[in-house]
Amino acid sequence: MFLNFETVEAQSLANRIIKENEIERYLEKGRDFINDEEIWEKLNKHVEPDPVRVREILAKSLAIETLEPDELAILINVKDPELWEEMFATAREIKKKVYDNRIVTFAPLYCGNLCINNCLYCGFRRENRVIKRRVLTIEEVKTEAEVLAGEIGHKRLIVVYGEHPATGAEYIRDTIEAIYSVKVKTRRGYGQIRRVNVNAAPMSIDELKMLKEVGIGTYQVFQETYHHETYAQIHPKGTVKHHYQWRLYCHHRALEAGVDDVALGVLFGLYDWRFELMGLLYHARDLEKKFGIGPHTISFPRLEPAANTPFVQETKYKVSDEDFKKVICLIRLAVPYTGMILTAREPAHIRKEILGLGIVTQTDASTKIGIGAYSDRYTEQELERQQFLIGDPRSLEEVIRELAEMGYITSFCTAGYRCGRTGERIMDLLVKGRERIFCKLNAVLTFKEWLDDFASEETKEVAQKVIEKEMEELKGMVPEGVYQKLLEYYQRIENGERDLYF
Amino acid sequence: MERETFISKFTALAKRIKQTYGVNLWLVEVLGKRHSYVAGHKEDSFLPPEPIYLNDRFAVVSNEWEKIPEEERKQLISSLKEDLLK
Repeated sequence: MFLNFETVEAQSLANRIIKENEIERYLEKGRDFINDEEIWEKLNKHVEPDPVRVREILAKSLAIETLEPDELAILINVKDPELWEEMFATAREIKKKVYDNRIVTFAPLYCGNLCINNCLYCGFRRENRVIKRRVLTIEEVKTEAEVLAGEIGHKRLIVVYGEHPATGAEYIRDTIEAIYSVKVKTRRGYGQIRRVNVNAAPMSIDELKMLKEVGIGTYQVFQETYHHETYAQIHPKGTVKHHYQWRLYCHHRALEAGVDDVALGVLFGLYDWRFELMGLLYHARDLEKKFGIGPHTISFPRLEPAANTPFVQETKYKVSDEDFKKVICLIRLAVPYTGMILTAREPAHIRKEILGLGIVTQTDASTKIGIGAYSDRYTEQELERQQFLIGDPRSLEEVIRELAEMGYITSFCTAGYRCGRTGERIMDLLVKGRERIFCKLNAVLTFKEWLDDFASEETKEVAQKVIEKEMEELKGMVPEGVYQKLLEYYQRIENGERDLYF
Repeated sequence: MERETFISKFTALAKRIKQTYGVNLWLVEVLGKRHSYVAGHKEDSFLPPEPIYLNDRFAVVSNEWEKIPEEERKQLISSLKEDLLK
């Protein structure tokens, strides 16, 4: 029944799924926190920013303080190329101060492409008949995880689900447990997925509590667009996703359920990027205000071609490469503590350029987004089984080598959420610039693990120089006892032990 | 014991330990692989974190357990375990 998606009564499902009382409790004076008129008013008010004021705002970002909406509007309106250079330099400095020199890598794992929604821009929309529909069984999910952990060497996944009864909260719970149960022998040690992040539809508090119980990593939901009118147009009536506020407050519900890492995102290209940036900031600020915890990460995907989806070609809001770089810089300045994810949607040359800016913190590699694609081992992209076309299908090893050549250390660290560096505690460490020490220590250890288990000699050679440089820097950054412990752990990993962390 | 009461008691204990030995303690809720911060210190000495499990739901984490005299450490853990049973 579930595979025949046309039989699903979307409207009645919407009525069953959406709990108005789990929206209303967060509203202020009956309104949500996105005031479209106010956002445009701010953007139009600051059209000629004073450079002195701009530099004051940059100093605030550098002190790892979330900006006010008016401050972001000022930065968005900067036109002077020299000021932009200062802004990029500040963004780079912030990233280094909060996360140091590491780039965390992960992979997406798509578990199903059934969907009750009908979003105009999405290849998986209900009425798109060219897509081959499939939901992985729990055994198939395990097989995918075995390839990811045992052959590629990933430790962290973002697991993706369409919105459909066949892939609801209970299925998500079972897949999380299945992925965590995988343990695969590798060259020198063993491979495991240590952090399962989830990209899924908005859920109720009770459903989110269920996912919390099995150790969900980050709960990631993108608002797609914060502009109310555009949102309503591209998410047709009669679908669950049409309900703007049900989606807007899903991170609030997650935090209330005790899932203390939540992730925001916008699909750039649906509406004006300047407005969307303001929306992201309002969202982060409302989470901070109500829970004392902001977004663990922010993602900034751009619309990509999808099978039988003409909307993508028709949108007038496509973000150019130059504006895209500005978007990334502005997110870093507006919400300085947050992790920032650049994905393989972008082509290799753009990824290289953006990683070179030194602003983002995470990226994916060896990415396959077809259902069952890792274990099927298909090498060509197949549009009828993918949500969209990815731009950079390079292997993890290729990406790691490029990062190393650029001077970055690849990190597979998943330590924080396994020792209580979560929620308000991680916020505190991030804001005080202390988390970077953990990032650096754990990057060295997890990179060493990966090199020993998966790397070619060629990659090892480039990577070893990066490790040596990082260890040398650490010597001057941490107390002697901590450095000695690092050396001890490094040696133990060399001897085949795994999963040692600070 | 009620969750909030337990957290208050832990917070007071952690404060005393910090004052006496300079050691950071934090309470976490164990949820599969996730150890979620609940209460206690936010500072860190950068040494590897070591959890001591109170039951299958809660653990106390520190990276300097050895600075607390063994007897006192045992007493602290045992008292917290008892509170969780109340």
